[in-house]
Amino acid sequence: MTICKIKTLKNNNRMSTQELLQTIYKKIDEGQSEFEIEACGQHDIGGAVKAKSDDKTLLFKITNPGQRVGAMAMDGVKIVVEGSAPADVGWLNSGAEIVVKGDAGDTAAHCAAGGKVFIGGRVGTRSGALMKHDPRFEPPQFWVLKNTGSFSFEFMGGGIAVICGYDCDNLTSVLGNRSCVGMVGGVVYVRGNVEGLANCVEKLPLDKLDKDFLKSGMPEFLQEIEKTELEEELLDFSKWSKILPLPKELKEKKQPVKDFIKNEWFKEGLFGDLVEDDGKVYGLAETGDARLRKPEWDKDLCVACDLCLKNCPQNAIKKDLTKYISESEKCIGCGICAAVCPRQAWKMKNC
Amino acid sequence: MAAVKINELHKSDLPWILEYDESKCIQCGKCTAVCSFNAIKPAVEIRKKSNSITEKNKTERVLVIKQNISLDNYCRGCGMCANVCPNGAIRLIRNKDDKYSVAYRANKADSFKKGGRSNLNTEGRTLDKIKIGRISQMTDPSLDAQRHTFELRTPFGRVLKADKLNFDVKDGKIVETTQLPPNRWIYPIIFGDMSIGAVSWRMWEAMAIATAYLNEVMGIPIRMCTGEGGIPTKLLKSRYVKYMILQIASGHFGWNRIIKAMPDMTEDPAGILIKIGQGAKPGDGGLLLASKVARYVQEIRGVPRADLLSPPTHQGLYSIEESVQKMFLSMNAAFKFKVPVAIKVAASVTSVPVYNNLLRDPYNIVGGFFLDGLAAGTGAAHEISLNHTGHPITSKLRDCYLTAVKQGRQGEIPLFAGGGLGQTGSFAADAFKLICLGANGVFTGRMLLEIAGCVGSDTGKCNACNTGLCPAGIAAQNDNLVKRLDVDKVAQNLVNYILATDIELKKLMAPIGCSSLPIGRSDALITVDKHISTRLDIQYAC
Amino acid sequence: MCRIGAIKSKQKLHPSIALKLMRSQQEGHDDSGFAFVMQDMGGIFENYKELPLMSMAGTVEGARLAEDILRDIGFTRVMQWSPDINNKKGLKIEALPIYMFEALQYPKSYKHATKEEKEELLIDTSIRLRKALEGTNSGYIYSFWPDTLTLKEIGSPKDIGIYFNLWEENKDLTSSIITAQCRQNTNYDIVRYAAHPFFLEGYTGLVNGENTFYEKNKSYQERLYKGYLGFESDSQCLLYTLHYVHKILKWPLQYFKHTITPLSYDEIIKREDSDILLRIKASLEHLEVNGPNTFLGVTPDKELICVCDSKKLRPVVIGKHNDTVIMTSEVAGINDLMPDRNTEEDIYPNERETVVIKDDLTVERWQQ
Repeated sequence: MTICKIKTLKNNNRMSTQELLQTIYKKIDEGQSEFEIEACGQHDIGGAVKAKSDDKTLLFKITNPGQRVGAMAMDGVKIVVEGSAPADVGWLNSGAEIVVKGDAGDTAAHCAAGGKVFIGGRVGTRSGALMKHDPRFEPPQFWVLKNTGSFSFEFMGGGIAVICGYDCDNLTSVLGNRSCVGMVGGVVYVRGNVEGLANCVEKLPLDKLDKDFLKSGMPEFLQEIEKTELEEELLDFSKWSKILPLPKELKEKKQPVKDFIKNEWFKEGLFGDLVEDDGKVYGLAETGDARLRKPEWDKDLCVACDLCLKNCPQNAIKKDLTKYISESEKCIGCGICAAVCPRQAWKMKNC
Repeated sequence: MAAVKINELHKSDLPWILEYDESKCIQCGKCTAVCSFNAIKPAVEIRKKSNSITEKNKTERVLVIKQNISLDNYCRGCGMCANVCPNGAIRLIRNKDDKYSVAYRANKADSFKKGGRSNLNTEGRTLDKIKIGRISQMTDPSLDAQRHTFELRTPFGRVLKADKLNFDVKDGKIVETTQLPPNRWIYPIIFGDMSIGAVSWRMWEAMAIATAYLNEVMGIPIRMCTGEGGIPTKLLKSRYVKYMILQIASGHFGWNRIIKAMPDMTEDPAGILIKIGQGAKPGDGGLLLASKVARYVQEIRGVPRADLLSPPTHQGLYSIEESVQKMFLSMNAAFKFKVPVAIKVAASVTSVPVYNNLLRDPYNIVGGFFLDGLAAGTGAAHEISLNHTGHPITSKLRDCYLTAVKQGRQGEIPLFAGGGLGQTGSFAADAFKLICLGANGVFTGRMLLEIAGCVGSDTGKCNACNTGLCPAGIAAQNDNLVKRLDVDKVAQNLVNYILATDIELKKLMAPIGCSSLPIGRSDALITVDKHISTRLDIQYAC
Repeated sequence: MCRIGAIKSKQKLHPSIALKLMRSQQEGHDDSGFAFVMQDMGGIFENYKELPLMSMAGTVEGARLAEDILRDIGFTRVMQWSPDINNKKGLKIEALPIYMFEALQYPKSYKHATKEEKEELLIDTSIRLRKALEGTNSGYIYSFWPDTLTLKEIGSPKDIGIYFNLWEENKDLTSSIITAQCRQNTNYDIVRYAAHPFFLEGYTGLVNGENTFYEKNKSYQERLYKGYLGFESDSQCLLYTLHYVHKILKWPLQYFKHTITPLSYDEIIKREDSDILLRIKASLEHLEVNGPNTFLGVTPDKELICVCDSKKLRPVVIGKHNDTVIMTSEVAGINDLMPDRNTEEDIYPNERETVVIKDDLTVERWQQ
């Protein structure tokens, strides 16, 4: 079957996205599997479609698409954009191979969970956000020749991103600012300077498996974006690193206040030279000097009936020949001795 | 047994009635031992042994727990006894028919004093009738409280209109040409001004620690106002003084030591707050009853043990202009015009004229306007003032903001609002709503007390802050009560509460799409009350 | 969402280029309007550059009212132009009876007036015209300023183009700067004044986005300068802030970004100019803009400026080819007009960036 060519602009009449997509669906139903589309900003081209027969790859060659090229694109689909594309390239990509030879706008590969997204230029803010990996399928891959905008890879849950940092030596960060906030899974390989990363991730050197992965994937990527001459430069691993989410136990822990008091605060306390305070915390119903009240015994009034001694809940009163003594280390100052005494020989005094 | 006479105080006159279940009591004595008011006691009751007519005159003596029937040692309902009872044998029941305040006045020929809050706060609060109703959803997406960065800082200090900054442009860059009024960027919550003396040394230290920790460990630039009751010299000379807003009220207590420490201070304080009035008892001066003037309080304040009354106004001030010149100028000069000097007044019908006067001060030395509303608390006040004077915070804050808007001068003298915030359990929401209505920030004392374990309430529970016998050790000045307060724990809880509040403020900023404080964003608010809608100029919704 | 564009060229361009720029971005707007501002006029306006040019639309009564006011003040008409109308059936447009573009001579008493005095007269006149037209519901005054032409209408951009014969290039109606937007303000009522671009005293601004600090901005700006009025759209606030910072305060352009999206305190204190930036942040706190935005603007120095919100929540891209620079929401628009440009030179401004296209088309980029 021949290639189906669609021109979306005739005179000043532009085909709307709906018209274009419906034309494509119709052609696919008719068995068409190769398209060349001269777009004029139409959205969603290449998304959510599959070739009529399973053994055929559905191929789209597109110029000047609008947003969401290859959004929700499926296995068995290949999309090639000549030049640049606006926002949301490969949004929710579930299996297609999507190639943009130029730059891509914001949120490229957002929520991608399968397939490959290859960008031959830079991508915008929030790219790679919420990428995921369903373990029953291959992880999504997201390759970018240059850099990303800020806030990229937010809440990334899985998959592999490769940011090659080509021609980005003048940038302080090839991932922009505040990337990887809330990242919990997957890996971002990055070549060049990185600054302003979220504190929930860590930047590590590559190990052998990482290098093997990059070595095996790089030729295909460069071939698709037609930059094979860069292979040697990009596979020099001296500037590469990878970003992984920090294990939970390593996430920043602050010292508790009591350590701050111990290490930083005034040694004898703020009021050390003004009050006597050993720092002990009194419970309710303390004994000794910590009591609110204490009993005092008057021998002239005492008839030695022993009622105080018998009723003291703390067994704090002892009789020493003719003397009654309240042992302060046991007494809580409840006043029962004073209450039960028939002659008021015990009186409660404030401490 | 003495005869009971009608004109004596009776148990039924008291505000709280002790309910005692003898069958559960094991007579451990803890309840009476813990009562800081000495309001309950063990007592011996004489009872007849049985109802049998043959043994009619046989009696027995039984040990029970009773409450004191006394104008001085009476139950405030703090509930420590019930907390400590192992068997739940004691409960306190609020006495609806309480005649205590009548009896007090009738016997003492003196006005009744108490601490805590107004107890006449019966109608619903304005802030509770306001909701955040402008939720960004589509064209202006909500922000994400976790993912996005938020800035919770507000200027404190005089802000000049851009065309009054006297900027020059050199080589494409702006340069300053004159010394501008001091201006700091602080967290929109200030720990309210509670003096040493009003609160215990442990409570005050816990607040100071929490402040230092939040700044230095958590990076939350919160400030604490010292209250006017002296400040430990150690603190003044430490780096932590930069987190402290020093207060000067009409009593000028403790300023001798502050002045003596000035040459040795390595950091400027965060600010100076001139206290003119207090929302809980506007038009009345500070009051520290002798029972709270502990030895160390005497020392740092430079006074003997006596009732300490601050005059209702600063002596020697005749007018607002005078106060600007004397208090603001002198306080600015004391710190070489490098420290913001603000004023705190009680919300009042006249707040707007006062604010206008300050806005028009030509010397730009007024760095903040703190407005304290009627639901504020206090360490001690005459009940008559506490219950019957004052002005709610919300409409007055709004009036002040809108008067500035009318002149195109909003933000020039930052507004801070306080007084009863968090009363219904939603401190962050109260703060947020006041900020939307025009406040740069809020201040709170009550929340700090609650976090520290205050057992009081707005409906008459405890409210004995004036006695020095605070059962939680917060407002106590009795050593053994003070030592009940666990400084480490209270400091940690204060920190935790602010961290929680920080999250909650962001959870309110995010849905209205604000990454910086929504000062004056009244368009985000709605109210289900038509009168509130009209009065505050916010959208009515139903 | 709005789709916006700004074109600057060393050549004089016809507004058809704006229609074409917006065409591929059609799914991004809602077919509810089209508006453009032309500055640095060519064609039939070339010889009247120093004279105020009134752009007005309205009823016959409105036109008469405007003429009366102008005469009353002492302005005299030097030249008048009206677009050719193609009133074919079925066009989606809510056209007004009269579209009037007039170059005017200043009143005689202004013969020796300074530039400032003349500008004062122009803004006062334009406020007076606006109030009079509003009061009688008889028309709209979009711009009243030398070398500036504005047209706004409700309807489908394509049909508006047909109605005013804008698809066909001609040499009469040209300028070196054209800013345009496709969409009316669909958040609220459809009001002509709410359509971008907005214009004030040589400054033009258009925004793709939302300003959640509208209420704050508005309540401050209403008392800042007499020309800050209308506020039919939350985006006008950004234009007024540009005008305030650049014209009234006379600050360099880079401080515009510091005003609308100030850096956080923590970032500022690390910088050498922290004192200045903190002062600006405090003094102009009420001009901060929150919410998603891309702002494109034109200054009286004929420079284009582009800034984004601090979270970069709206798209924008800048492309250059030969003698022309285009800033617009989506790259598709630029691809259509400049397919052969070097895309390696495309600029995607970030959340901290100010991009300025100088009058000689050199590009300046400042990180905040």
